[in-house]
Amino acid sequence: MNAPDRYERFVVPEGVSKVSYERDTKIINAATFTVEREDHTIGNILRMQLHRDENVLFAGYKLPHPLQYKILIRIQTTSQSSPMQAYNQAINDLDKELDHLKNAFEVELARHNASQQREF
Amino acid sequence: MEGVSYQRFPKIKIREVKDDYMKFELRETDASIANALRRVMISEVPTIAIDLVEIEVNSSVLNDEFIAHRLGLVPLISERAMAMRFSRDCDACDGDGQCEYCSVEFHLRAKCINDTTLDVTSKDLYSSDHTVVPVDFSDASSTIDNTESRGIIIVKLRRGQELILRAIARKGIGKDHAKWSPAATVTFMYEPEIYINEELMETLTMEEKQEFVDSSPTKVFDINPRNGQVYVHNAENYAYDDEVLKKAEAMGKPGLVEIHAKEDSFIFTVETTGGIKASQLLINAIEILKQKLDAVRLSADTVEADEQFGELGAHMRGG
Repeated sequence: MNAPDRYERFVVPEGVSKVSYERDTKIINAATFTVEREDHTIGNILRMQLHRDENVLFAGYKLPHPLQYKILIRIQTTSQSSPMQAYNQAINDLDKELDHLKNAFEVELARHNASQQREF
Repeated sequence: MEGVSYQRFPKIKIREVKDDYMKFELRETDASIANALRRVMISEVPTIAIDLVEIEVNSSVLNDEFIAHRLGLVPLISERAMAMRFSRDCDACDGDGQCEYCSVEFHLRAKCINDTTLDVTSKDLYSSDHTVVPVDFSDASSTIDNTESRGIIIVKLRRGQELILRAIARKGIGKDHAKWSPAATVTFMYEPEIYINEELMETLTMEEKQEFVDSSPTKVFDINPRNGQVYVHNAENYAYDDEVLKKAEAMGKPGLVEIHAKEDSFIFTVETTGGIKASQLLINAIEILKQKLDAVRLSADTVEADEQFGELGAHMRGG
């Protein structure tokens, strides 16, 4: 009867921005990114990618509540970098990794199919 | 930006591909990527499924909503799904989701006229689009199946019973409802690395060796009948159950074998419902994950707002 629509889980409501950024007031070079309608899929890959960045002192994410469809990503960096720069870098690197993976898979699939055909 | 990059270059190796099954190795990346791919394959790669059913006549034993639910679960060929629109953001139709860009119409008309029960199956569904039809499982099992295959049974009709309906199939994702999930199962395991301490192993008698080999519930180790040496029969059979380690401990030989999970090496098994090919499912999953990443990029106005704030902040800090 009063159940929320199922699409509320993955459609960003009107007037809400997908990503919002909030600087930490007490610690320099620290910030929290609030990402709407995302979960562990994005949260965990971003966190792990941020850990590869040596200028990142802290990177973590949390899903505050299973019925609040958003995640919080917290980043603290050295003065060499900034949370925003680290965040963008992580997304770019993951994007390139996935591009590489897609190409690698397509090449491998073609190779596999060709070797399969030779057997017949 | 700067020249630094922390990008990885994962390697992939296919072991086996069939239309609805695939096994491959993913290496040189971490568990977060493997798990993201698994999660996206299960719940975010789109397919097409029946979403709206208008029942005209139903005198079968199953009630209307029961039949509508069963129709929703019938897998449809979803090669088109990636290019299709979600009916909620389709502007060709005003949100009713009934235009050719975002929906496919099906008709079903069946009546039993004789004394034998009539099976109403997915083959009785007539599609308005020949590229979107119920998945046909018949040729896969043709060697066993001697009678003509009749598809997925929706309901059985007795003499005089009738079923007439119109159904609308739409694009959707598994997160919304499991009927839209293209995956039957997607799993990955860490590749195990097994070291046998040969020196310690040789202190065992033949019976003890056999006991050790048999202690594993799955066939991981075996004994070479020629030289009586224990060898790794198939490392991937190891289910991380620790049984052989406990056995070694119980025999007073801790460290007899060492088993590690390789943290950057995964063995994936993908099975689909037949709606899309297993190989296509992985390609689509990578594409969807890329789109998701693009969507979480910072928008220009938040960057601008921060720069202004940044100057303000610098002033406040006395810089």
